[in-house]
Amino acid sequence: MLELKDVHTYYGNIHALKGISITVNDGEIVTLIGSNGAGKSTTLRTIQGLNKPRTGTIVLDGVELEKLPAHEIAGLGVAQSPEGRMIFPRMTVLENLEMGAYARKDLTTYKADMEHVFDLFPRLKERIGQKGGTLSGGEQQMLAMGRALMAKPKILLLDEPSMGLAPLLVELIFDIIKKLNEEGTTILLVEQNALMALSIASRGYVLQTGEIILSDTAENLKNNEMVQKSYLGVE
Amino acid sequence: MRHIRTGVLFGVIAGLLTFLFSGWSVAVMGLFAGVGLGLALESRLDRGSPSNLAKQVLPAALTAGAILLVLSLFQNFVVQPAIGKPSSYGNVFVPANIIGVIAIIALTMITASFRGLEEKWEKRAKMILLAVVAIAFPFIDTFTGLRWTSNVIFALIFVILGLGLNIVVGYAGLLDLGYAAFFAIGAYTTGILSSPQHNIYMNFWLVIWIAAGMAAIWGLMLGAPTLPLRGDYLAIVTLGFGEIIPVLFRNLIDVTINEPLTCWIIPGIQKMFGATSTVACINLVNHMDITAGERGINPIGRPSFFGYEFQSNNPTPWYFLIMAIILLSVFIIQRLHKSRMGRAWMAIREDELAAAQMGIDPIRTKLAAFAMGAAFSGFAGAFYAAYIRGIFPSVFDFSASIIILCVVILGGIGNINGVIVGGLVIMTADRLFLPALKDFLKGLMDFTVLPSLASNPTLQSIVAQNANPILYRFLLFGLTLVIMMAVRPEGLIPSAQMRAELHKDEEVVIDVEDNQKSKAKKG
Ligand SMILES: Nc1ncnc2c1ncn2[C@@H]1O[C@H](COP(=O)(O)OP(=O)(O)O)[C@@H](O)[C@H]1O
Ligand SMILES: [Mg+2]
Repeated sequence: MLELKDVHTYYGNIHALKGISITVNDGEIVTLIGSNGAGKSTTLRTIQGLNKPRTGTIVLDGVELEKLPAHEIAGLGVAQSPEGRMIFPRMTVLENLEMGAYARKDLTTYKADMEHVFDLFPRLKERIGQKGGTLSGGEQQMLAMGRALMAKPKILLLDEPSMGLAPLLVELIFDIIKKLNEEGTTILLVEQNALMALSIASRGYVLQTGEIILSDTAENLKNNEMVQKSYLGVE
Repeated sequence: MRHIRTGVLFGVIAGLLTFLFSGWSVAVMGLFAGVGLGLALESRLDRGSPSNLAKQVLPAALTAGAILLVLSLFQNFVVQPAIGKPSSYGNVFVPANIIGVIAIIALTMITASFRGLEEKWEKRAKMILLAVVAIAFPFIDTFTGLRWTSNVIFALIFVILGLGLNIVVGYAGLLDLGYAAFFAIGAYTTGILSSPQHNIYMNFWLVIWIAAGMAAIWGLMLGAPTLPLRGDYLAIVTLGFGEIIPVLFRNLIDVTINEPLTCWIIPGIQKMFGATSTVACINLVNHMDITAGERGINPIGRPSFFGYEFQSNNPTPWYFLIMAIILLSVFIIQRLHKSRMGRAWMAIREDELAAAQMGIDPIRTKLAAFAMGAAFSGFAGAFYAAYIRGIFPSVFDFSASIIILCVVILGGIGNINGVIVGGLVIMTADRLFLPALKDFLKGLMDFTVLPSLASNPTLQSIVAQNANPILYRFLLFGLTLVIMMAVRPEGLIPSAQMRAELHKDEEVVIDVEDNQKSKAKKG
């Protein structure tokens, strides 16, 4: 459904993505792993139109995204839980979630979706009237994911959802990602925590300094010697 | 204790203001201070039975009443002689003080007791009270001979300007330092379309919409190339625009527009081939004086209403007209704020990138805020032009933009009620209290201070020359801002969001990372 072909993205002179090709099929969890500065966030930002690729194509269900502005891409069903969460600090939890549904045309299941988000993250329901900026880091992560879900996206982009969270909370978040996928959401997951990511993904790509150096099923990647050494901490 | 402190504050302010106006002013001050004090206390009270609430605020009301009375008596018997006016007795003084004291006490208690009503009715009761005060004001003003209405109208013009700018700055978070430019465009549109300047006399009720539309169009034209800029850059561009517009109006006095094809292009080509020009230059506009420069445009046509033409010497109809415009504006702005566009403005203000990720088009959203904000200053400009009957470029310079910005900030950024109060306070202070203070000080100087300095002529002349508060207008203004920002940075009546933002320490403390609990809940 989503296909990146030979995507090059620059920040000024910095060549951040050097010809990336990624495919995400319907119903999959695909993970993008790589160390700091490899270009993972840039990839997601490029898909979402926040950075424009200089060359290459990005196609979602037959629609070319690479020329569209970010807000139109959101309208086509791409939602992201971004790095750094980027929630609206002065809006309440509820208002943040409502903003998530801003681009939706079909609001028939709006109420049910809101309930669903609260089922996944009961914590958000407890904090429903609290300002986003006063939430704890974990709660902000839940809010960012909940907000992305409220868009009822065709594809959900998750940028390091486990970053900075306590281990128990990381497990909870990964449980939820798995659950979401089982319910039919297609997910592109960016993680530094490669072990966790590969354990729930079906396929994965390894990114290094803006290039894909490996792509395989999650199972094979887990057993790959190079991956084990560089990303899984196996000696 | 806190209530009494508020009571003291209102009593002292009302009492001191009677120094400036004397006569009936104590009654009018009692009325306003009573409503103000009542509203200030009301929001802080716990709900309860109305009579109980009235009792709760009684000490504060009595304190305010007593202070008002004492200051008013002091004014009459001590201050009046000191400024060279006779103390008054009998037919104004007695009833004015009785009414003033009763008004401040009774209205404080009545207003505070609204808290005992059901929330819906509480709101309505407050609205009705304010409506009654607003409607009664010009009649009370005429009856008491205070003649405040024409200056209050100025304050109300700035209320509209504040409301418009609040859309741009408060809702969408775009710092506009040249907002008076749109005010000017509204005023000049009105001037040009209903004055002898061009012998066009359009009906005011039509022109006011054209002025608003014109301002909005200019808002779009300015916004389109500049709104992609962020923060500081935008502020600087708007600053420049605000400077350019008055200069433009000052200089559009000799405008000639030639049709380029016949005047330059064809003759130019002919010349290139050595031929002499054969086409007659089509001259579209020839030496036209569009804006009359420094002389200004006047007289500008006045509105008429079912055969009644508004007059300069009777401010009451103008007062109700501007009130109607404000009501309409508030209604529209409230709708806008709650609309999809209003939510988009909020999102853009919070985080532009995140907003784009939500599917909000940042440019279009900001443009809408700019155009809407400009449209309201177009209303204000049209009213201003018709009310003053003449417009001059110097009115719309940088200081006007800054004053409007201060109305928004001082009142409470992002809050309609705050902006209204801000506009009233700043502009009545500027147009009503400062001139009155000047007269007051002059009296005090001539009759008390200067004679006592007779032994030192140098000092006497220095004091005499500098005892004019109008000279310190901007100093006082700046001082007020500095004090406000130090004491109450969220404005007089802040929006809930600003309050939360600026007083984080007062908010409920939120527990950190209590993930066990949520995990347990889930499992
Ligand atoms: N806004 C930016 N301006 C310039 N360079 C950037 C910017 N954002 C990221 N980069 C650079 O692009 C590269 C990829 O960054 P990023 O996609 O954030 O990596 P990752 O998410 O994998 O840690 C890095 O070298 C980083 O320094
Ligand atoms: Mg990253």
